[in-house]
This record gives sequence, C-alpha cells and structure tokens, in this order.
Amino acid sequence: MLLADFGTSYSKILDTAKGDTPLILPTKELPRSFMADLATGHNAGRRSRRSINELTALARGGYALIQRPDFVLLDCGSRDIKFVRFQDGKVADMGWNAECGASMGFTIELLSTYYNLDYAEIPPPTTGFSVTCGVLGMSHIFDAIIAGASEAEAVAGFVRGIALNAYRFAHEPEELYLSGGLCSNPLFVACLPGRVHTLGRFVLLAGLQATLAQDAHPDSLLPGQTKS
Amino acid sequence: MSRLIGIVGVPPLAVIEKINRDGDRIVDLDEPQIRAPIDQTAAHIPRVYCAILRTVVLNSLHLPLDLVYIDVGPGKCDCALHVSDILADLLRVPVIRTRNQDTRSFGYPLCTSRMPLMEKVSRITKSVQSAAPHAPVPPCQPSCGFWGVPPRDFALLDLFPETTHVFGWTRCMENKTPADLELEHQVDPTIPMVFFSQSFCAKSALAKHLADKHPRAIAIDCDVTPSSSTRAKIEAFLELSGVVPDRRHTP
Repeated sequence: MLLADFGTSYSKILDTAKGDTPLILPTKELPRSFMADLATGHNAGRRSRRSINELTALARGGYALIQRPDFVLLDCGSRDIKFVRFQDGKVADMGWNAECGASMGFTIELLSTYYNLDYAEIPPPTTGFSVTCGVLGMSHIFDAIIAGASEAEAVAGFVRGIALNAYRFAHEPEELYLSGGLCSNPLFVACLPGRVHTLGRFVLLAGLQATLAQDAHPDSLLPGQTKS
Repeated sequence: MSRLIGIVGVPPLAVIEKINRDGDRIVDLDEPQIRAPIDQTAAHIPRVYCAILRTVVLNSLHLPLDLVYIDVGPGKCDCALHVSDILADLLRVPVIRTRNQDTRSFGYPLCTSRMPLMEKVSRITKSVQSAAPHAPVPPCQPSCGFWGVPPRDFALLDLFPETTHVFGWTRCMENKTPADLELEHQVDPTIPMVFFSQSFCAKSALAKHLADKHPRAIAIDCDVTPSSSTRAKIEAFLELSGVVPDRRHTP
C-alpha cells in the first residue's frame, strides 16, 4: 500500500510493504504519473485512489502518536500552518491558515539558501519583527540589513516573528506539539515559547496509517467518531 | 408592462406586497445574476469590501432595472447604507432606501428541514420575494448547523449534509424579520456548528464571538469564492466532529 503526504515543497511517501521508513523527495521531482493508494495534501485528490483531508490526517496522526487526551498540535509546512486542539480525546478546536500564514516555511528555506545560513548556528534573538506572512515579512529583513544588522541577525528576527505568529495562531498553549518541516529548523523551534515537543515530518503519514488501521478494524474509533 | 425591481437585503413586507400587487418582477441584487468579472466594479467600490455588495454594484451595472429598493437599516448593514449612495449616483432610476424593522414572524421551516443546504438557502433567499406564508416543511433531526448570511458563492454550502440546520441572519430572512438580533444570536449547543461570515463584514465579529462560546464550532470567512483551504477546513471540521461531509464536489 502506497501512502503519500503531498506537501507543497516536499512529498513524504511510505510503502507499507517495504517497511516503516518514509521517503522524502521534492514535490517538483515527483513523476507526473505517480499515484498513491491513500494520500493527503495538495493534489492528493488527483494523485491518489483515495484521499483524506490534511487537517483530518493531522488530527488522526497526532492522536495516534501523542496518545494523550489533551494536547495542541501545530503543523508548520512550506505553504500553510494548521493546528488541532484535543480535549478529552476529542477535537475541540482547529484552524488552517493558508492566507496570512502563506509561504512561511518556504520563505525560511529560501532565505537560508540565499544568504547561505545554517539555522543550527544562529542563536534565537530576544527581539524580532512582527511578521504576518512570509512574503510581507521580507521587507523587514532588508530594512534591518540596511540599518546595520548582519544578515544572520536580520533573518533570525524574521524567523522569530514567524514562530510567534504561528504560536499565536494555535492560541498560545503552554505546551505545544510541533510537526512539519520546520521541526528540523532549530532556530524556529527555539523561538517558540513554552514547552515544545517536535514530532517531525511524518505525522500526516501517521494519520493515513491510522485511517488504514481503522479500515482494517472498523469497530475502532478515530478522533471525532462515536459509536452509533 | 411589468417593471424590473432590484432588491438589496430584505425590504419591508409592505414593499414586497406592493411589488407583488403591481405585478412587477423582483431581482435579488445580492446574488450573482450576470456573468461578468467582479473587478468591473472597482471604479465604483473598493476591491477590499463585502463581496455581496460588490455583486450588488456589478448587477446594477448590467441589469435593465426600473427601480431599486435597498435596505439600509438594522436588518442589513452600514456598508449597504454607503452603497446606496453609490447606486443613487450610478443609476438613472430611483434608488429607495428602506429600514426593515418588521417583527411579524413567518417561521423558518426551511431552516430546519432536510434537503441539500444549497437548495435550502436558495429557497430561503427566493422566499424574500413573496409576502405569502411559508408552506409547511417537516423538520429533521439536525446533524450540524450553519450560521450566517447566505454566502456570495453558494458553492460553500455543498459540503454540508442535508440534515444541516440553518441559523443566523439566513434564519431571520426566512422569518422575514431581518433585524431580529435575538433570533440571529440563536444557536444549538448540542450540534457542531460552522459560523460563517463574508470577509470584511461586520458580522464576522459576531460569528467569532458565538463560535468561541459554542462547545464545538469554527468560524470561517470567505470573500468572493471559497478557497480550497476554506472548503478543506469545513470538511475536516465536519469529519472530525463525526459528521460525514458531502465530498462529491471536493476538487
């Protein structure tokens, strides 16, 4: 069974017959003919025989991995951010920001390439920019460099602004589970307030696996389901 | 010869009765009536503005209207009040401002009925054009709720199941009491609810406020047409609330 999380920048693919290690490859390098059995993400409807909604996959994957009745899980990807909040084992709140959170992860990656920066080597700043969107926030970086900041300092201020914006989007929880590509960015993670647990990039794949498991055992319940 | 009367919002019942009595035809300017780019209105109304009122202006630019009734009272909004000035300057026909404060309740059988939500809301908006009492429709057990105004693009509604109950200003419309704030505040805390507002609409504050107080709700907004993320958010909310969304129209 071929499972796929088609992200904007990277696709995560798991062949359940070949083990537990997913393959990550740039979405732009994915063959046009590639077809998954079960998928989520952009174009999942066209690139798979069956697709499920990204937020649904996030909630199911998060619930399966975290195994707690109450938690907040924030997913920061290339293009958008989304969160789910569980209370008593049920989804109590959720959000998906594809507009004002637009292109945050994508912009962070572009900046490191352009300025040749290693985010593992940049300490988290104590102050930053007020950033509502990856694209609009770029002008803060240029202004800071003109004002005398180093490129690393300016980009760090930008990343901090993005991290705080994402944190507020999830309603500022004291404890936060983080998923998505930005889990691998130490600067971004360090800029998030509160206790942060990183889950990595495969939470949506875990959601697809939870869906498969539910298909195999229809009596088991997924988040949001109640016995009729 | 019958005239073509444009209406914006819900004009008072007395106005609808007169139009019906005179044998004139009503066209609802809040809904898309012609196929033309909405940006044609940019010379008259800001692009960042309620898409329903931009649609009103677009329709008015193209339709051979004889008269316009535009409700600008507490049953509509301040934005409509200002758009009434634009229409009055733009059109060569009378633009009559009304302030609907009718209190006679007609009931809301369609809001609690079982039928596709898009058809339900279409029939509710159509019912504004008649002063006749509503035909009885049996109520159904609700699986979820939709609160808000009829969206500018009804495609937003096609994810909801047939057992969706309708609340908010759409319910006030069917009841023919568009200024009834108490009815507009009515919600059902026992079912998951989607609180919808048009982007840039003052009602978005009420939508968010009511959604925050509701135990299982989300607030969403939408401008001209629903984006794929707006649709996905509704779909996930319904799915995770134990409601099976209608995915026939999912892209």
